[in-house]
Amino acid sequence: MSEPVGVVNASVTSSPRGLWCRLGPLWSLVSLLAIVYVVTLMNSFLGDSVQVQLQYALVNLIIVVALQIFIGTSGVLSFGHVAFVAVGAWTVGLLTIDPELKRNLLPDLFPFLFDLNAPWLVAVVIGGVVGGLLALVVSPVLMRLNGLQAGIATFALLGVVNQVLTYWSSVGPRSGQSMVGIPDVLNLQTTMLFAMAAIVAAWLFQRTRPSRLLRAAREDGIAAASSGINVVSQRIIVFAVSGIVAGVAGGLFALTNRVVQSSQLNIELTFVTLAMLVLGGMLSLSGAVIGTLVFSLVDVLLVRLQNGVEIGAYVVSVPQGARAIILGLILVGMLLFRPSGITGGREFVWPLRRERPLPGMPPTNES
Amino acid sequence: MTGQLIQSLVDALSAGATLGLAALSIGLVFGVIRLANFAQAEIITASAYCLIFTWELGWFIAVPLSILVAVAMSLLMEFTVFSRMRSANPATLLIASFGLSFLLQRVYELMFSNNVRTAPVASGLAQTVEFAGVRIQLLSVATIVIAGLLLLGLHLFLTRTSMGLQLKAAAADFRTARLIGIPAGRVIALSFALSGILAAAVAFVLTVQSGAVGPTFGVQITILALVGAVIGGIDKISGSLAGGFLVGFVTSMLATWLPQEMSNFKDAYVFVLVIGVLLFRPSGLLIKGRGVART
Amino acid sequence: MSIADDARFGSRQPGRGLRVEGLQVAYGGVPAVRGIDLEVKAGEAVGLIGPNGAGKSSTLLGIMGAIARSGRVLVDGQDLAGLPPEKVVRRGVALVPEGRHVFAELSVADNLRLGAVARRDRTGYSEAMEHVLTLFPMLRDFGHRQAGLLSGGQQQQLAIGRALMSDPDILLLDEPSLGLSPTAVDTVFEALDVIRAAGKAVLVVEQRAEFTIAFCDRTFVLHDGEITLTLKPQDAEKVDVLTKAYFG
Repeated sequence: MSEPVGVVNASVTSSPRGLWCRLGPLWSLVSLLAIVYVVTLMNSFLGDSVQVQLQYALVNLIIVVALQIFIGTSGVLSFGHVAFVAVGAWTVGLLTIDPELKRNLLPDLFPFLFDLNAPWLVAVVIGGVVGGLLALVVSPVLMRLNGLQAGIATFALLGVVNQVLTYWSSVGPRSGQSMVGIPDVLNLQTTMLFAMAAIVAAWLFQRTRPSRLLRAAREDGIAAASSGINVVSQRIIVFAVSGIVAGVAGGLFALTNRVVQSSQLNIELTFVTLAMLVLGGMLSLSGAVIGTLVFSLVDVLLVRLQNGVEIGAYVVSVPQGARAIILGLILVGMLLFRPSGITGGREFVWPLRRERPLPGMPPTNES
Repeated sequence: MTGQLIQSLVDALSAGATLGLAALSIGLVFGVIRLANFAQAEIITASAYCLIFTWELGWFIAVPLSILVAVAMSLLMEFTVFSRMRSANPATLLIASFGLSFLLQRVYELMFSNNVRTAPVASGLAQTVEFAGVRIQLLSVATIVIAGLLLLGLHLFLTRTSMGLQLKAAAADFRTARLIGIPAGRVIALSFALSGILAAAVAFVLTVQSGAVGPTFGVQITILALVGAVIGGIDKISGSLAGGFLVGFVTSMLATWLPQEMSNFKDAYVFVLVIGVLLFRPSGLLIKGRGVART
Repeated sequence: MSIADDARFGSRQPGRGLRVEGLQVAYGGVPAVRGIDLEVKAGEAVGLIGPNGAGKSSTLLGIMGAIARSGRVLVDGQDLAGLPPEKVVRRGVALVPEGRHVFAELSVADNLRLGAVARRDRTGYSEAMEHVLTLFPMLRDFGHRQAGLLSGGQQQQLAIGRALMSDPDILLLDEPSLGLSPTAVDTVFEALDVIRAAGKAVLVVEQRAEFTIAFCDRTFVLHDGEITLTLKPQDAEKVDVLTKAYFG
């Protein structure tokens, strides 16, 4: 695409900012990393049972960051990112399971896959590449769509990928079965580093040209079009980048869960991760991080309560199953009373400065 | 071969009719307030639970009660959640309905457990009759008849009554409808109520089909209905209906005629088809030019 | 013009006008109308002209309660504060929206029927229908035709007819001449003349300044959400006034 320079471009790049404002975004990055670090540290106070939950939370965090990269930047809804997570998980599963075991457990694989093997770190990177490639391949079609249509089309992508992974035994287990034997190599600290890396990557990406152009286009589609921004090609870039991040998250999911099954990588995960993003606020990276962590911590707390917690002479507990209901209520309540999420779509800023809001979602159509 | 063809056609018509009704129930509400209500699934589930639990009291109690439950739930959703989100855009509304759907599923789990509940609902319809060498499921025929009657009734309501006309106008252009004095709240409530009735019909057909109801009973059909409504053109009532019918019909035909090793992937083919339709007719098959479905 | 002579055409209690005091409208914090005062008495036509974005449509939508507003909108001395559009219509205010917005897929007759949903009485329906069909005979001929198939001028007649079906005392029109041929514009304004003569208060937003100033009893020039000029019919001739009206 040619490099159009126009009104919108100028308005994103040249708004006057002081030194503090320029440091502001850096501050937001540092504070997010610090929050992730502190939350991960909590593990030592809360005991081992929480460790596993926290590791899942960090994997989810990366998925939500991937979602935010795309949804927050383009303003287009995606129900399809879990498809990239799924292919990432599949890739890491296929590359890390012991070849001997693979031959026995996944007999229908393409023969060349039997001996294909990689160290887990390399496998995770390849998982990211595969996720990104899938996103890139489907994006010329999907990125032309808007609104509800985009939501349905990305959902259809998830449906296709999920069904292929479920039934195509040449690339995985026989129909509906799970892939087992994934090595136990990932610990909480490493997962935390990955989560931090994802946040840094998303933060850096926010500062690139495609991301800025797309955010400008989201704010004002007409101005963007008239200044010659090719929204579709910018979206393709952003979609592919978020696909890479989602693919990496999928690889980490495989290493965390150590069993991969297509039914785990479907609508439910899509919904939970979207819920986390909505809770925090779709339009900011801080929203993605805060939403995931708050959601996960409330979940940790509720699991504890389900098992009963002694407070003084009383044992406080919530009934089994109430946990999901409470999480659902929190989400619906948030959408009702604060639809822009906990962060309201803003990034953290230097606390001594007035908040500089990121512009909100495109103006809603009345009725 | 012709026998099998006719049989598969009847089955596909019935699958299309069911999905058409489900898509219509989504489209009716969308036309008015731009909400693609995913929690329609839980209305269907609730109505189905009602059929299962009350069937032994007799169909003349169970069926009206299941309709009542569906309508009540539909209205309750509107009054407690969606009426407070009038200024939200369709994407936010869709997510909200996802949230509500998730929440209600968990409530059902808590109330009725994760296991399916069973009852021989209208087991008489589950038989197969042989007619001139063609084996036809009675339920398929019943489904087509039910759908036909409902559509006829809906059509008469929309064209012959003042309330129906108001609903039609609001679905076509809600803003103008309000500006010329059509009461918004009443029309919205009406669309939710009608949508509930359609959901009850879908629940009836599905419950007779499976005889077993679990917490996520309505999810599968609602996903397909949503997809169908969008590719048909969710902006228009007829678009939703036609899109839903198409998806149901094609899926059923694929299931019958695809070779065994490929039929596992039938949903994948349908989804690819859906992406194709959205690419070439983003506003829906029945909508000319660019529709008004906005983010 | 037999209808104009018919005293029953329109309201049974003539004399109800519209008063707007300090009307303000804003979109997301950006003001579109910054405190407008105007009055339209029964049997009077008032024009509202000004450049694009001056706040003309926002004024009408604000009066209708279709967008958030502050200030007072009085009909017959009663404030319409906080009423949604459907209630405002029931107080005797009807809007002919910009771009006509007839229900394209419904028949002409159904469009008119829908206009009567907000009638304050149940008895005057057929009478009102008769009046509208006399005012716009074309609508009688095309009763069963889909409204979307009518020409722009015919759709405008339908939109006005639909508004009249609610038996309003006050008729608001948003650019009724937009995109119409000169003869169609004449038809529309002849009808407005009849409606005014029947004792209704007419407030018309227009782009065609000269035409509007000549037709209306008073015309306000709106600029940046404020009334900057008040013009009389005889001002229509003065080109310099017009220039001022458009370029402030």
